[in-house]
Amino acid sequence: MRKTWLRDYILKRLFYAVIIAWGVLTITFLLVRLGPSSPADKYLTNLATRGEDPTQAIAAIEARYGLDAPLYEQYLDYMGNLLQGDWGWSFSTSMPVIELIKVHWIYSFQLILLSTILAALIGILIGIYSAVRQYSKTDYIATFFSFIGISIPNFWLGVMLILLFSVQLGLFKTYYDTSIPLLSLANLKQLILPVVTLGTGMMAGYTRYTRSAMLDNLRKDFVRTARAKGLPERTVIGKHVFRNAVLPLVTIIMFDLGSIVFGGAYLTEIIFGIPGLGRISFNAIFADDYAVVVAITLISAFLVLFINLATDVAYAYLDPRIRYD
Amino acid sequence: MTKKGIKRLAGKVGGIKNLILIPLAALWLLTLLLDIFVVEKIFDPLGYLYIAIGIVALLYVVWPLYTGRRLVQYYWQRVKRNRLAVAGLAFILFLILLALIGPLFTPDPTAANFEEKNMPPVGFSIEESVYKAETGQFITKTTSGSWEHPLGTDDKGRDLLAMIISGAGVSLQVGLLATGIAVALGTLIGVVSAYLGGKVDNILMRLTDIMMTFPFFLLLVFIIFIFGPSLAFIVLVIGLTGWTGTARLIRSETLSLRTREFILAAKALGASDGRIVLAHLIPNVVSLIVVIATLSIPGVILAEAALSFIGLGDPSVTSWGMILRAGQQSLDITWWVAVMPGVMLFLTVLAFNFVGDGLRDAFDPRSSV
Repeated sequence: MRKTWLRDYILKRLFYAVIIAWGVLTITFLLVRLGPSSPADKYLTNLATRGEDPTQAIAAIEARYGLDAPLYEQYLDYMGNLLQGDWGWSFSTSMPVIELIKVHWIYSFQLILLSTILAALIGILIGIYSAVRQYSKTDYIATFFSFIGISIPNFWLGVMLILLFSVQLGLFKTYYDTSIPLLSLANLKQLILPVVTLGTGMMAGYTRYTRSAMLDNLRKDFVRTARAKGLPERTVIGKHVFRNAVLPLVTIIMFDLGSIVFGGAYLTEIIFGIPGLGRISFNAIFADDYAVVVAITLISAFLVLFINLATDVAYAYLDPRIRYD
Repeated sequence: MTKKGIKRLAGKVGGIKNLILIPLAALWLLTLLLDIFVVEKIFDPLGYLYIAIGIVALLYVVWPLYTGRRLVQYYWQRVKRNRLAVAGLAFILFLILLALIGPLFTPDPTAANFEEKNMPPVGFSIEESVYKAETGQFITKTTSGSWEHPLGTDDKGRDLLAMIISGAGVSLQVGLLATGIAVALGTLIGVVSAYLGGKVDNILMRLTDIMMTFPFFLLLVFIIFIFGPSLAFIVLVIGLTGWTGTARLIRSETLSLRTREFILAAKALGASDGRIVLAHLIPNVVSLIVVIATLSIPGVILAEAALSFIGLGDPSVTSWGMILRAGQQSLDITWWVAVMPGVMLFLTVLAFNFVGDGLRDAFDPRSSV
């Protein structure tokens, strides 16, 4: 019974994921096509400003993008190319977009991974402590700082950290140095400020979620029962309360990745000059390099889609209470 | 038309307010279409947003507040006990006054004056080396802040206080207008989706899923990149992309309301779907809408600030994000230019968060504020 239910559920979620992916691609395509200037225009003005003759390029571009074809044919081409792994050509860096992404994704990944792990660990610990000692001095201080943490604009925090630690105290370089190998202490050191910039808001959020989820569960009957039968408080908090609070927390952390963290990482990379996907997209915007901006928007959306799908399926598998309407 | 006739007509569309709204909305749409297709520039784009949000706010916020004075007083008593919420409210009122009255007393925020560049705020002084043409040497010059420019000036000699005040206006406009659009759209989609259910619900929720799959800020950057930045357009885009969270919350709230007795009773008495949605469902989610709106304003303000910060803001207006951008570029000399807009952004976001939390507690009958 449960096995078939789970299979049906996963199939249904997969079906929805396909619809969403199609919607994401279609909306992106329509936005680009509805825009006031076509990719070809921007490409041509770019060529012209570099002193090359644009007329020579016209035929090549029209063949390349198929811009003379009717709209539905362009749409099918666009879908087909993406599915075959052809994500377009980045003229500002003179390489295929897919190659560009292969070089730069790791910088975003390390930033997001480190920030998420640290923020989750510290946030959850503070949240648990805060909930267990509700209304204590520590709780008030934690609540106060988490309020400040979620309200502080992360791009401003980044600029202030640079002002204080790099400009005034000279402890860190103001810019990310790509010549330092990724797996080295020096790289960790230069990631400190970016991770604090991105992680502070996340940590504050997780503290708040954990605290309220813990408090919700602390009031439940099964906790009273556990205490009444004389279990040590450690076991009650760790096994009965925390285990029930942690599952929704994981969903929230995963959901935050798409809605908050990707945007935050985008800004953090720009401020600290980290050459991740956000910085690449930022550079591409000011070089009018369409293909790169489209590709990075699509990739981030697909990542969110995949993370949400994986979270939902894992959730359904782990939590027997869940039923999909 | 007789009084009875009006009443019957009003009953059909779910109350007198909607009866007033429909012709006004039609008039607004007609003017807009005229503006686009026949003549140009009856109002500027922001003007249309103001009129639209103004009409809706007057009918659905000011009017109910006035007719429900006693309820408002009750909630105010509850909010008042939360000191942080009151402080937040006071700061927001101060900010509104600042944005309205401030520009009358400050110089033009865009006027560059290189004679007075890099002046620190009152109480601070900086030393910088200046090249003297007469002697051909660098000498150290000490500049102290003066009351002429209380917050100092930037590297182009623009008055920082004037820029901050101009930025307050921009942030408040974006925050209120974009949130207005997003929350109105989200409420409509949420209520319709939950009430009609079935295919409509399925389609609307998949649309919500698709919109939610785009990381919010990246989608904004993408659209502004393609269509170009102007303040009205930024407001519109934030409004048209930021409704998803509201739609989901309102949908789940409406789903639980839909099966309640008073809705069944209205149905049994033969009320139309439109009337049930407009006269019974929406009034019951109003407190939730107010809380969602208050708590979404900070995100909207931050989104606009972040856009301006990376250089995708409207270049013709001075916003906080743009000042921060200018400050970041000369961080080693004019640190105050980067500090001030961030402090204002932080306080504004904090204020709206406090007020939102206070309202949520006040509206929750189970909380003992």
